[in-house]
Amino acid sequence: MRISELKLLIIRSLDIDGDPEKGLRGLEEAGVDYRFSDGFRDKVLGRIASAGNTVVREMESVRNLNNVFSRIALTGVAAIVILLISIFMVQGSLSLDSFLGLGNSYDESLVYLLTGN
Amino acid sequence: MESYRQKSDAELVKFSLEGDKQAFGEIVNRYQGMVARTVKGMLGDSVFSEDIGQDVFIKLYYSLSDFRGEAKLSTYIQKIAVNLTLNEIKRRKRFFSTFSQKGNNEMYEFEVADYDTEEKKEARELVGKALMSLDPKFRVIVTMRMLQGYSTKETAEILDLPLGTVLSRLSRAQEQMKEILGKL
Repeated sequence: MRISELKLLIIRSLDIDGDPEKGLRGLEEAGVDYRFSDGFRDKVLGRIASAGNTVVREMESVRNLNNVFSRIALTGVAAIVILLISIFMVQGSLSLDSFLGLGNSYDESLVYLLTGN
Repeated sequence: MESYRQKSDAELVKFSLEGDKQAFGEIVNRYQGMVARTVKGMLGDSVFSEDIGQDVFIKLYYSLSDFRGEAKLSTYIQKIAVNLTLNEIKRRKRFFSTFSQKGNNEMYEFEVADYDTEEKKEARELVGKALMSLDPKFRVIVTMRMLQGYSTKETAEILDLPLGTVLSRLSRAQEQMKEILGKL
């Protein structure tokens, strides 16, 4: 097909009233067709497989992190319980003052401690 | 693979969702030509377009569960292809407007395949150059019409545009195309 004919075909293929299939066939006959390279399917499947492995690795690291976190959380809760029991045994109550270690202090002693006078 | 060729799109989607990679491979085989025409028509015939083509199918793979089967699978894939390609055009435009003073013409490459005859090479080069000279909003309409053979109604459905918009853009694209081809 000559270039002038091809140009005409391109313009006619864009006619609103024209048959788009006819234009497409004409261009294909002229050699206007696009393809991906050989092995395209395998490349796509390869990328999906490698992306899948990444997802599995991410899931494993999240699971490991959760395990570590639950162990830390359990140890933390146990430490808090022991602290509460020890405060109760030493101070005799679980008030805010007891938590702050001020259970047996008088106001004057506090002023002295804070100001030095 | 032979057995998969007989399967319908719906069956292939179902098998793919169950983890059957070969079934998804058949979807890729079935629609890679269609995606190549959209992506290469809009971005130029280069290896970079091939990467976008792969991205289209990877995105399809991870969004298959969202496919309800209300539209045809080809329409669903075409929408993904158009969206990814338009995003790539925007990305390249941003990149070149930031880092280059030469304009956007350098963002397209042509790698006409060796197996083509001289006449076919010329034809593809002419169509490629003409398409790349079009404004992207016209280029997508022309690609759908000229390289995919879609009707204006199908184009409107794929691009999520009103039919009137597609008709007016097609008409303006034809005018622009006449001008461009006159210079080539």
